[in-house]
Amino acid sequence: MPFEYILVAVDGSDPSDRAFEKALELAALTRAKVTALAIEGPLPAYAATVGEVDEVKREKDIFFSALATRARTRAIEMGVELDVELRAGHAAEGISDFAATGGFDLVVLGHRGHFLRDHLLGSTADRVAENAPCPVMIVR
Amino acid sequence: MSDFAIAALLAATILGASMISVEVGLSVALIELLLGVLVGNAFHLDIPAWLSFLGTFAGIVLTFQAGAEVDVPQFKREWRASLSIGVVSFFAPFAVVGLVCYYALGWNHRQAEIGGLALSTTSLAVVYAVLVETGLNRELVGKRLMSATFVTDIATVVGLTILFVQPTVWVIPFVIVSIALIAGLPHVSPWFFRRFGDRVIEPEIKLVFASLLLLIWLGGRANSQAALPAFILGLAMSNHYAKHRKEQERMRVVSFALLTPFFFLKGGMNVSLGALWANLGILAVLFAAKMVPKFGGVYPLARRLTAPHAAFTTLLMSTGLTFGTITSLYGLNAGIIDRTKFSLLIAVVVLSAIVPTAVAQGFFNPHVKQARATDRGRPLALPEPAGEGART
Repeated sequence: MPFEYILVAVDGSDPSDRAFEKALELAALTRAKVTALAIEGPLPAYAATVGEVDEVKREKDIFFSALATRARTRAIEMGVELDVELRAGHAAEGISDFAATGGFDLVVLGHRGHFLRDHLLGSTADRVAENAPCPVMIVR
Repeated sequence: MSDFAIAALLAATILGASMISVEVGLSVALIELLLGVLVGNAFHLDIPAWLSFLGTFAGIVLTFQAGAEVDVPQFKREWRASLSIGVVSFFAPFAVVGLVCYYALGWNHRQAEIGGLALSTTSLAVVYAVLVETGLNRELVGKRLMSATFVTDIATVVGLTILFVQPTVWVIPFVIVSIALIAGLPHVSPWFFRRFGDRVIEPEIKLVFASLLLLIWLGGRANSQAALPAFILGLAMSNHYAKHRKEQERMRVVSFALLTPFFFLKGGMNVSLGALWANLGILAVLFAAKMVPKFGGVYPLARRLTAPHAAFTTLLMSTGLTFGTITSLYGLNAGIIDRTKFSLLIAVVVLSAIVPTAVAQGFFNPHVKQARATDRGRPLALPEPAGEGART
C-alpha cells in the first residue's frame, strides 16, 4: 500500500480546496485514511487589547468550523475516512510538526495560501516541503 | 491643514492600518502606532483639539476594557502566586528605570517616575495571544501568568494616580462619584440590560461612556486622572460582561472602529524619529533598564511557580504595550515629559512588546518543545483546540 495515512492542509483557499480534492481522490484509490489539518494562523501579534485577540479567535473558529463541516461532507460523498483537526499557530510550522508527530505517509497542500505574507515571505508549501518528514505533494 | 483634512488623512491611515494588520498578522494597534509615527514625522501636524479629546477618551476606554477583561475568579484562585510574580514584575523595573532616569540620564523626579511607570508594565494582550496559540491559557501556568499581569497593570494605574495627584477640593466629589459608579454600575447593569439592552442604539455602551466621561471630567477638576477608577470600574463590570459576551463584543466593535485607532495614532504622531535617532544610546539603556530587572526579578519566581516554562513566562512578563503607552501619553499631556522623552519611552515600550515575545516564541516555545519531544508513530491524540471565547 503506497499510502496509508495522508495529511492534507486546508485553509479555505482555492489552492487548498484543490489539494483537498486530490487528497480525497488519492485516498479513495489507495484506501488511505485522511486527516485534514486546519491551522488557524497566528493571532494578532503584539496586540494592545485582549479584545482584539478574542474577536479574531472567534472569527477564525467560526470560519474553520464551517470549513471542517464542508470537508466532512465532501469526504462522505467520496467514501473516504476523514479526521479533521484544528490547531492555532503558524501554518508551516504547525503542518510540519503535526506531520512529524502523526506518522503520516504523505502531506498534501495547495501551492499558495490566503494572504500577502505568503507572497512576501515564501509560501507555506515551500517551507513544509523543506521541513516535513515525509513526501509532500503540492497541488496547483 | 484644516480639521477635516487632518481627519480624512487619519481616517485613511486607520483604514490602511486595518488592511495591513489583516495581511501581515500583526496587531492593528501596533500598526496604528507605527503609521502614526510615519504620518506625524512626514506631515509635521499639530495635534488638533478633537484628536486630543478622542485620544484621551480612548485611553480611558482602553483602561476600562483592560479591567473588564480580567478573569477575577481565576485571580482569586491563584492570587498568592500571581501576586508575588506581579508585584516583583512591577517594582523591579519601576525602581531600576526610575533610578537610571534620575541619576544616569538627569531626568527630574517626576519624569523619572513616569519613566519607571511606563516601563514597568506587562501587556496582558501580548501575553494572552501567545498563551492561546500555545494552549497554555488552559493550563495553570497560563492562568497564573494572566493573573500576574493584572497585578502589574493595577500597580501601574495605582502608581499613576498616587504619584501624580495634586488634589483640589474637587477630589471629594471625584472620589464619591468613583465609588458610587464602581459599587452601583454592576448592580444597575442587569436591570438596565433587561430594560434597554439588545438594541441597535446601544444604550448599554452609552451608559458606560457617560460614566467614563464623567470620571474624566471630575478627574480633571480634581487634578487627578480617571485611569484608576476606570480600571476598577472595568474590573467591577467584568462579571457582568462574562455573562453578556455580546454586549462586550459590541463595545469592542465601537472602540476598535472609532476610538482606539485615534489613541494609537495620536501616540505615534507625537514620536519624533529625529529625537530617537539622536538618542539611540539612551534608548538602549532604557530598554536594558526595563528588561534586566524584569528578568532578574521574575525568573527566580517563575522557576518555582511556572515550571517547566520559567524562561518562556519570564520573557512574556517582560512585554509591555498598552499601559506603557497610556502612561507615556499621560506624562506628555501633563507636561511632565517632553517629546524626546516621550519618543524614547514609546520606542522602548514597542520594543518590549516585540523583542521578548519573539525570543520567547523563537527559542522557548513550549508548543514546539512538546511536538519535538513526542515519539513518531500513529496519529496521536493531540490537545483539543481552544474553543470559542478562548478565555476560561
